[in-house]
Amino acid sequence: MLASILAQVPWQAPSIDYHAIAPEIVLAAGIVLIILVDLFVGESKKWVTASLTGFVLLGALIPVLTLAVSDPDARSLFDGRYVIDEYALTLKALFLIAGYVVVLLSQNHVEEGDYYQGEYYTLLLTSLTGMVMMASSRDLVSIFVALEFLSIPAYMLAAWRKRDRKSNEAGVKYYLLGVFASAVMLYGMSLLYGVTGSTLLSEIGRQITVDGDFGGVHALAIVFVVVGFAFKVSAVPFHTWAPDTYEGAPTPVTAFLSVASKAAGFVALVTILYVGVPQAKDVWQPFLWVLAALTMTVGNLLALRQSNIVRMLAYSSISQGGFILMPLAVAGTGDAAGPALQAVVVYLLVYAAMNLGMFAVVIAAARTTRSGEISSFGGLFSYAPGLGVLMTIFLASLAGIPPLGGWIAKFAAFRAVLEAGNGWAYGIAVIGAVNSVIAFGYYGNVMREVWMKPAPNGETRAVATPTSLVAALTITGAATLLLGVLPGTVLRFGDLADLVGAFGR
Amino acid sequence: MELVVFVIAAAMVIVGALGVILRPNPVHAALSLVLTLFGVAVHFVALEAHFLAAVQVIVYAGAIVVLFLFVIMLLGVDRTEDISIEPFKVQRPMALVVGVGVIGLVTAAVSSSRDAIGRGNGLEIPTVTGDNDSNVRQIARSVFGDYVVAFELTSVLLVVAVVGTVMLTRRIKTGKGES
Amino acid sequence: MSDFLRSYLTVFWFGLAALLLASLLLGIAVLVRPSRPNREKLLTYESGVDPVGDGWSQSQIRYYVFALLFVIFDVEAVFIFPWATQLERYGTFGLVEMGVFVGVLLLGLVYAWRKGVLRWV
Repeated sequence: MLASILAQVPWQAPSIDYHAIAPEIVLAAGIVLIILVDLFVGESKKWVTASLTGFVLLGALIPVLTLAVSDPDARSLFDGRYVIDEYALTLKALFLIAGYVVVLLSQNHVEEGDYYQGEYYTLLLTSLTGMVMMASSRDLVSIFVALEFLSIPAYMLAAWRKRDRKSNEAGVKYYLLGVFASAVMLYGMSLLYGVTGSTLLSEIGRQITVDGDFGGVHALAIVFVVVGFAFKVSAVPFHTWAPDTYEGAPTPVTAFLSVASKAAGFVALVTILYVGVPQAKDVWQPFLWVLAALTMTVGNLLALRQSNIVRMLAYSSISQGGFILMPLAVAGTGDAAGPALQAVVVYLLVYAAMNLGMFAVVIAAARTTRSGEISSFGGLFSYAPGLGVLMTIFLASLAGIPPLGGWIAKFAAFRAVLEAGNGWAYGIAVIGAVNSVIAFGYYGNVMREVWMKPAPNGETRAVATPTSLVAALTITGAATLLLGVLPGTVLRFGDLADLVGAFGR
Repeated sequence: MELVVFVIAAAMVIVGALGVILRPNPVHAALSLVLTLFGVAVHFVALEAHFLAAVQVIVYAGAIVVLFLFVIMLLGVDRTEDISIEPFKVQRPMALVVGVGVIGLVTAAVSSSRDAIGRGNGLEIPTVTGDNDSNVRQIARSVFGDYVVAFELTSVLLVVAVVGTVMLTRRIKTGKGES
Repeated sequence: MSDFLRSYLTVFWFGLAALLLASLLLGIAVLVRPSRPNREKLLTYESGVDPVGDGWSQSQIRYYVFALLFVIFDVEAVFIFPWATQLERYGTFGLVEMGVFVGVLLLGLVYAWRKGVLRWV
């Protein structure tokens, strides 16, 4: 019946606000451009693709900025399926800048290694397009397309070192567990669509209410969707792929996965929970509580035992994910919801700066040490003081020592949790506090190597750090310091991050 | 009659799915998948989604399974896989327990909220329109309406699939050493 | 039974008829023909190239790239079909959107062609 009515209604082209989707258009055009350039330039000029990727990312940042200062606070396209609000813009900017830093990190790595440059940047840019899209998606279909967009290139990037067994293992593990997670999530999404009759998150939010028809199917659907994203953000017990993938993938790709890909997972999770199913908090809060507690603790304990720095950073990034989940687990609704959303956004911003910085230092230092073992970083300060100091800053920030960015992030997370002020909140706050202390163990261990141990085989000559890496270190270092010294800036970003349609408003 | 169609199609799906995981020969497993996908196509027909049914047969049962077969042949799995050795002794019983558990959970969840689903919130029950290509029109309306951005970006994703495949299948670049 | 399913009943009868006809013809042939097998007759190809080796052999990865390209254009066809049924309705907007879609996919083909994977060496 519906169909036959539809057939008679004259069709009207959807009115598209091209300004609103300009970042996506720039990125898509950039992907096409880079493929074409890669096809028609010679082997010796392939570096052009790297510079072009950087320009495309900065070019996409321009419409994000003009949108931020332009008049309507929030633009909504396609009946609210694609929303450009301050939350989306903040995160789009985060993804684009993080992507730019990853390009800087990749430049020398990819040129010196035996990699296909054009393809590498094409895939990187595609994955970023998916993330930028994810920030605006308010509809199950768009979210799923964005998720595939950001994951599929990432699977291939993880396996980029074709002749290396570890890289192959990384790619296969990431791929198999990733598609499994997608399948579970898609099943959850299909159940949500089935019970509400809409793919639009705000419409689902209207349908799923506590006092309405809420049954087992609704709960199951929500749990499946959360499990799918738990894989994406590598929350324990869905983290098993992360250490092997992080270790095997090329290091710039690891930096990309641990920052941008993870942030995109959180963005989608937050959007679905806050816009789609805020009323069903009794289902997802206890579930997230357990996930957050497990993620923080298991990630930390396993990080303590690692001797390889990338594996240690993998577990540390799992554990940091637990801190991001923490406010969501107890402060999803009510008065505490605002600070919780703010805490998540602030944490993502700060975490991106410090973790990318950490990986930049590791990449720069590994040019000299030629090894990923923590012990090989011994005496780094004595022969490369700049890198030694920067590494200390990033480690201290990751550990949450004031006055660095990481401290503000942890502060915001704990404040949101305590705002909720119930037994669950105090419980997770205690677990979080204990874990913050445990984390000093492994971050401090690396610092001790850098400052106190002698260089392993008497290495005293540092390999020069290329310009692009210096630029990456400058951006991330400055961000980490500034966010810590001027907490007002980043906390205001959080405030701006007003998610349209959240909390059933 | 709908019930008969449903039972036959459901049996096809389940037998095919069991075949996929139980047949020791990977080629047979892939062919069992065709049965499953075909059963799903029959379900689509029963729900009056002709276009989806056609797509299911053409793309999934046709093209995707052919891709699977290519990969199986490519890996040279020309013998029956020996599945009697397993690295973790507990993993098979555990898989069984988890599998049965999930089935139980889904069944319990659906049956416990049968009333809630029936009460109008959910999807419209398809009605006979007599207009046989109506759902092609509905799809066109979605693709060119609400989901036009996702649709356009899908083309980029497909190209990226080509790029990735070509990259992964090409020989390593000559002239440079192995990394 | 709904009208809708009844229309599919034709497909069912048609399939049944095809099955019956085929088994009838083959069955009669089995009953009527003489059976004197020898080695030559049981070969896969009675004339032409002698079959060598096993039926299962590792295939070339090139087939895979071709198969994937095929799938991609198969999917393209799936999207074109709904548009093609209502060409006029979507007018210029539809034409532009579909043009972009096909254009981008064409880039994939150009890419594969330039990288030389379409050449059969």
